[in-house]
Amino acid sequence: MKKLLGIFGLLVAVFALTSIANPQFVSAYNLQNLIRWTSLFGIISIGAAFVIITGGIDLSIGSTIGLVGSMMAWLLTQKGWGVGPTLAAVMLCSLAIGLAHGLLITKMRLQPFVVTLCGLLLYRGIARFLTDDQSQGFGNSHDTLRQLAIGKLPISGGFALPAPLFILLGIAALAAVFLNLTVAGRHLLALGRNETAARFSGIRTDTLKIVAYVLCSGLAGVGGILFSLDLNSIQPSGLGEFYELYAIAAAVLGGCSLRGGEGTITGVIIGTAVMRVLYNAINILGIPTHLEFAIIGAVILAGVMTDEWVKRFAARRRAARERAEGATA
Amino acid sequence: MTSTLSFRSLLTAALLLLIPTAGCKQSSEPTAAAKPDGAAPATTGGKKKKIAYVTNGVDPFWNTATAGVRAAEKEFGVECEVLMPPKGIVDQKRMVEGLLARGIDGVAISPIDAKNQVGLIDAIAERCPVITHDSDAPDSKRLCFIGMDNYNAGRAAGRLVKEALPKGGKVMLFVGRLEQLNAQQRRQGVIDEVLGRPVPAAGKLSYDPPGKSLSAGAYTVVDTRTDNFDYSRAKANAQDAMASIPDLDCMVGLFAYNAPQCLEAAREAGKLGRIKIVSFDEANAVLEGIRDGHVHGTISQQPYYYGYHSVRILKGLANGDKSVLPANGFQEVPTVEVRRANVDQFWTDLKKMQAAGQ
Repeated sequence: MKKLLGIFGLLVAVFALTSIANPQFVSAYNLQNLIRWTSLFGIISIGAAFVIITGGIDLSIGSTIGLVGSMMAWLLTQKGWGVGPTLAAVMLCSLAIGLAHGLLITKMRLQPFVVTLCGLLLYRGIARFLTDDQSQGFGNSHDTLRQLAIGKLPISGGFALPAPLFILLGIAALAAVFLNLTVAGRHLLALGRNETAARFSGIRTDTLKIVAYVLCSGLAGVGGILFSLDLNSIQPSGLGEFYELYAIAAAVLGGCSLRGGEGTITGVIIGTAVMRVLYNAINILGIPTHLEFAIIGAVILAGVMTDEWVKRFAARRRAARERAEGATA
Repeated sequence: MTSTLSFRSLLTAALLLLIPTAGCKQSSEPTAAAKPDGAAPATTGGKKKKIAYVTNGVDPFWNTATAGVRAAEKEFGVECEVLMPPKGIVDQKRMVEGLLARGIDGVAISPIDAKNQVGLIDAIAERCPVITHDSDAPDSKRLCFIGMDNYNAGRAAGRLVKEALPKGGKVMLFVGRLEQLNAQQRRQGVIDEVLGRPVPAAGKLSYDPPGKSLSAGAYTVVDTRTDNFDYSRAKANAQDAMASIPDLDCMVGLFAYNAPQCLEAAREAGKLGRIKIVSFDEANAVLEGIRDGHVHGTISQQPYYYGYHSVRILKGLANGDKSVLPANGFQEVPTVEVRRANVDQFWTDLKKMQAAGQ
């Protein structure tokens, strides 16, 4: 938990400064929007975290979102499929994508970067081909299904909790239990830290890695469903573009090490929240949008640097204290 | 190890199977290497002329333009390839180079960066007739431009804003990118009209920098937000505008997908009808919104005619007929203001056009 203090501090700081500068930032309406976006991006970031914990990477998350989102709208509106079969088909498709990644990486020993980079191109291409590159949408139909993304649970004073939050919380709880309380989860962390050692200790590293990629693509599939339901206007060439970078950034900000073996689900959600709060703050404060990338880059870099300095300072003080104690003893 | 081997052998077998088919494809198409100077052989004789229609991206707007292309293809007996570069300027260049290498009898292109793509357009002009549509590049060797006056279209949208808010109010603009000339001109048109400024003399257009709130009389144009064509950013921008300015009165979407996202955001915020929405182009969600009274109106550029006239003019030029060129090199496609009163008729006509194009 201590490791998350830095990133949590950054979140609180940005939150506090923005709400002082413009009180509308903490209005019920804005908080609802913030929670919805954080939930949507949080879901895909948890998937990314699993793969990053194994020391791998998945660059195809955005394209999987694009494929699932376009396919879902296409099947529902153009092909006249029912809701059940459609959801089953797109989820199976995303799980199959993850399985293929896992098999190619573990059995054929291909590099995750290459496999998922090819996936990035492949799934985007399939999405565009299937739909003839035509924008898809649900129009005014499927309003019940759309509640998954745009529905809300009223609390009080005009404040309502967006539906995706509950989906995120469910997924996060399952993911945290899996990672922390099951043997497989602990093995996953061990394999990320030192794969050879883990294999020699009898851990089925290949199976676990495949599971990680299946979870990642599966969650990207859930994200694809929710993003398309939320936007109601799906461009096969554009939906989800670069979202893998948002997901990876959120996971790393939240304490996942790109070298593998480290990461917590809470951290990933806080990491996602930092990214979304920054985007939102820029708009609320009326900062020109063309500055947003620069500001987000600078704030995150500053945050990570401060975090590192604080850690080093603490380590030095601890070392000094231990030395002093050693001298007096 | 055995599994690795079997995978490899499968892959190799698949590749071996692919090679002969790839070879067949290549031999049936003329390539740039067919001529020693690298120039592509033009299709001649009784064969249908081959022309190309290059857009500036992928958008529903271009689907309607394609419908016009398809209709004109049938009417004028030509073959037209429609190319939509998904990733901006680099893709557009790559696609054009591919066309020139394969050999083409005419190209209509919507330049993404008018000033800096002169070289590319001139390179096309060396091989075949080239015209611009939607966005012009007047300094290039293009033979004519098909499109609308974006500044005037912006002013028309500004009139819709004033109509929707007769007592004045706060207005926010949304657009994909502000680097594009058409976006800049449209934006300025809306601002000038809403703030009651006079129409500037030709060539004297000056732009207000974004990020500054502008007011005149009862109207305030608060800002212009960009989203880089990311739909979820577009929606978040609309939500954030409503959050930061609780008394926002009107949202104007300058690109086709902007107003649908404003509409979604307004619907979720329970502000349908209270916040006026003015749009460009004819996305289905916008037309539906106009019919339901949730969108005040939209400015249609009639992209169908961009496609139609492009094919018509290129067909003439490919046959050496210069009389198809419009006077002053500008084929104006008039804009149509769509409101609740004429939306049904407009939509029916649009559907008919799109069906005819298929």
